[in-house]
Amino acid sequence: MNAPVSSLPVLTLENACLTLQGNAGPVDILHGISLEIEQGQSVGLVGPSGSGKSSLLMLLGGLEQATSGSVVALGQDLTAMNEDALARFRRNKMGVVFQSFHLIPTMTALENVATPLELAGHADAFKRAEEELRAVGLGARMHHYPAQMSGGEQQRVALARAAAPRPAILLADEPTGNLDGVNGQAIMDLLFGLRDRHGATLVLVTHAPELAVLCDRIVHLRDGRIEGETNPAETRDAEPRVSAPRVSAPRDSAPRDSGAVA
Amino acid sequence: MSLATSARLARRELRGGLAGFRIFLLCLALGVGAIAAVGTVRAAIESGLAREGRALLGGDAELRLTYRFADESERAWMASEATAMAEVVEFRSMAVTGAGERALTQVKAVDGAWPLIGTATFEPAMNIATVLAGRGGLPGAAMDPVLIDRLELSVGDTFRLGRQDFALMAAVLREPDSIGTSFGLGPRTLVAAAALENSGLIGPGTLFDTSYRLTLREGDTLQQLRQSLNTAFPDAGIRWRDSSSAEPNIARFVDRLGAFLVLVGLAGLAVGGVGVSAAVRSYLDAKTPVIATLKTLGAEGRTIFTIYFLQIGILTVLGVVAGLVLGAGAVALAAPLVQAQVPVPMAVGFYPGPLLEAAVYGVLTALVFTLWPLARVQDVRAAALYRGIGTESRAWPRAWALVWLALALSALIGASVWFSGIWMLALGTAGGIAGSLVLLFGAALGVRALARRLARSRMLRGRTALRLAMGAVGNPREGAVAVVLSLGLGLTVLATVGQIDANLRAAISTQLPDRAPSFFFLDIQPAQIDAFTAQLRATDGVNDIDTAPQLRGVITRINGRSTSEFPEHWVLHGDRGLTYAAEQGSVTVTEGDWWPADYDGPPLVSFGADEGRELGLSLGDTITVNVLGREVTGTIANFRELDFRSGGIGFVMTFSPNAFSGAPHTFIATVNADRNVEGAVLRALGEAFPNVTAIPIRETAQRFAEALSTLAAATSMAALATLATGFVVLIGAAAAGERARIFEAAVLKTLGATRGQILASFALRSALMGAAAGLVAIGAGAVSAWAVLTQVMDLSYRFEPVSALLIVAGGVLAVLLAGLGFAARPLAARPAGVLRAQE
Repeated sequence: MNAPVSSLPVLTLENACLTLQGNAGPVDILHGISLEIEQGQSVGLVGPSGSGKSSLLMLLGGLEQATSGSVVALGQDLTAMNEDALARFRRNKMGVVFQSFHLIPTMTALENVATPLELAGHADAFKRAEEELRAVGLGARMHHYPAQMSGGEQQRVALARAAAPRPAILLADEPTGNLDGVNGQAIMDLLFGLRDRHGATLVLVTHAPELAVLCDRIVHLRDGRIEGETNPAETRDAEPRVSAPRVSAPRDSAPRDSGAVA
Repeated sequence: MSLATSARLARRELRGGLAGFRIFLLCLALGVGAIAAVGTVRAAIESGLAREGRALLGGDAELRLTYRFADESERAWMASEATAMAEVVEFRSMAVTGAGERALTQVKAVDGAWPLIGTATFEPAMNIATVLAGRGGLPGAAMDPVLIDRLELSVGDTFRLGRQDFALMAAVLREPDSIGTSFGLGPRTLVAAAALENSGLIGPGTLFDTSYRLTLREGDTLQQLRQSLNTAFPDAGIRWRDSSSAEPNIARFVDRLGAFLVLVGLAGLAVGGVGVSAAVRSYLDAKTPVIATLKTLGAEGRTIFTIYFLQIGILTVLGVVAGLVLGAGAVALAAPLVQAQVPVPMAVGFYPGPLLEAAVYGVLTALVFTLWPLARVQDVRAAALYRGIGTESRAWPRAWALVWLALALSALIGASVWFSGIWMLALGTAGGIAGSLVLLFGAALGVRALARRLARSRMLRGRTALRLAMGAVGNPREGAVAVVLSLGLGLTVLATVGQIDANLRAAISTQLPDRAPSFFFLDIQPAQIDAFTAQLRATDGVNDIDTAPQLRGVITRINGRSTSEFPEHWVLHGDRGLTYAAEQGSVTVTEGDWWPADYDGPPLVSFGADEGRELGLSLGDTITVNVLGREVTGTIANFRELDFRSGGIGFVMTFSPNAFSGAPHTFIATVNADRNVEGAVLRALGEAFPNVTAIPIRETAQRFAEALSTLAAATSMAALATLATGFVVLIGAAAAGERARIFEAAVLKTLGATRGQILASFALRSALMGAAAGLVAIGAGAVSAWAVLTQVMDLSYRFEPVSALLIVAGGVLAVLLAGLGFAARPLAARPAGVLRAQE
């Protein structure tokens, strides 16, 4: 299934600012960010360390509240919601993947994946979780604990967990940052595959240019501001040897190029 | 979001095992166990007293008279209403040997029917009839072995009571109806009542008690018997006891002591609460990523709270159950030991009541100490997953949690009031614990702030170990607050007990002999009093003599209302000494006026000011006393100061001289003599007045001090349980800091610190925290000891430095031990391994 692209904005930031209270006083993280992401789009957030990529992603996921400005997701103003309302919203609409996986160590892979479904009150939480784990190739490791799995396997569990509730929005914070090249590539394939299969909108933070070019759009951040935006399609055309051969080959099973290019 | 899902998630979380909860469980179990043990011992003694009630009383019911035997009509009533009757006469006297040795003894004179229930045991073994029969024409007697030793007698020797000689037949090892001999004045001498006829010891006006033990007729109830007695002899001043409360004084004492020790145990539970709170805090801190992850996955704050509340709830139940098993089990195992220590019967068994009480205390304490950290979990931000800054949850939990906290605290205090039945003591203890905790918390924060300042000051530059120690104490992660709180509270309890104990001992051993007379003399007959005082005045070394007429009577009514309608007060309990006087003398009247010396109107009373206030009396109220079966009603004319501490003659009630005209009475005297003539005075008076009983004050005070030190020892045991819990908390804090110290030691070694320097720094920080806890404990202990001594016991308070110093030293030592016990691994760790692992 190709990712449908429409002009409907799924995520809208308007002049969003984020200031945090540190021990040494307030720290300005993001300044006046305005951004619109349409349904089914994949957006890469790139920039040097401390540029505010992760904070922007957390703002989009309602894990962080904007100090000023507005953050609207799927028509709902996240800045007007309290922590519990945000939790309920995420439960049904968003999946988040982290660089360091953040699996719950006392739960098996299956239980980790089932948790968001249980929280949402799905009676068939475990059945669906099994399907999700099979889909990421971990059908044989359902009852293993995180500590018994490799980093790549853990991240696949985290992916299955994020995708299990069929979220409309997938957020990923350097999902391959802790993995080697081969594992990182497999995770990226799965991530984009999930996005394609469920028609989700994907926002991805990454340091790696070769991953960013897989996205429909690349947003560059510096010092908490959007510095500019590039279209990876052009980059790919200009420098085909950088990314095209490496990314297209393993993802044959989940063709997405048509959608991305359109 | 259902409770079932929360429970499922909670169960998964607990898979991590209980390793992180050892301190939590131990603290709770120790606190609950101590309370359960005290409660179980108390229940066992109370149940033992109830079970043995008949034997302890020596019958189903006992009628007790003062200064007289039952008259014909009373004997006839007993013969008709009871199946059997035994008569027992008790009084104090002096036993004198042929060699002139003399000692105070509590004489028990029995008839042939005694004991109605059980048997008395003698050494050499013989039956009671053989003992009383005597030998060689002399009536027989048995004595407490202590008295035999004191008088240097052996079986077969002769001694004298009053004017009657007795043959010592045996030592009395056990009387079935007596457990309280050690509380009485003087050890026991057992004789036949009939043998006293010619002793001159029992007569009108002398101080003796008679008791008649009765056994019920088939089908009768105690209630019926009592009603029948009240109908037949409504105003005879007969006191009633029955087997349902054979030893009411001991039962009350055990009840009070038990309640008090439970309250001390509650302080231990509070110490455990500090450890429980610290354990939950560190557990939840470690769980921050999981909580944030759950939030990311869509869990609401309430769900998160429920998940962790359920976990802590399960652990609380585990800890409480472990405590109950520990407490009840310890009592069961130590029962033979405990039974050997207490002179009262114990029925060791399973008593759900005290266990329930301990469980309620445990659950409520856990709730009070964990609600705060638990309520904060729902404020953990999901953003904690990707950064540390700005995610510290706010210091105060939400309003609902504070409301629940207040409710749980009120329930805990309410439970202690309800269970102890002594609301003032319970509230005082609760206030003391809360006050100490606040004080200690403030002190901990102060110590931390001061240490931080000192660590940065120029003064400490170049003193690396000291600067490092100060820095560590000043670091919020070092656990100074938990250490100072837990150890400090344990030491506060110990300091309070220590200060009270030391003050009481000082009061008895140093203050009393300076002011108090050497002897009390009792039973001086009116015909003897002049000769008695004359002989004393003629003796060198006798400084001061004070005499007063004495009668004994029971207060039966106040303002015409029966005293049974009044709240319990010691003045209304049993018979009181009464006196009369024409002149005011040296007493201080606080309200009202003394009567004219020649007053001859209706009887007037001068009442003790404090006692009158406690009973709610005012001038013009009437007091009715029963003296030897005769009722006398006096009107309160004045209140006067009574100072029992001076050791002089102190009667709560002094009547106008006409009130008891014609009633038989005796005189009592207090005599102050130089120590070197005391023995001579005693011998001379004993020979001239063989019926007069002398009570040596110093010896009595000594006995009182021994009883007090037993109490202090029991309290110290309970306080030690508190301290043990505090030590567990210390170990927990030390263990929690071990990883940080391993890292610190590794870095310091890399920078060139020797192991000696590192160890010195560790020792210094422990000593600093211990000293801080000890100093606050001394302050708080002094304040609570002052409150108990001056406000409750009406004594003076003086700071006792020795016990205080021991407390500080103990505190320093405890923290040092706990801290250094966990220093080995940091010192041994190789820096490379540690620092590589930290990357």
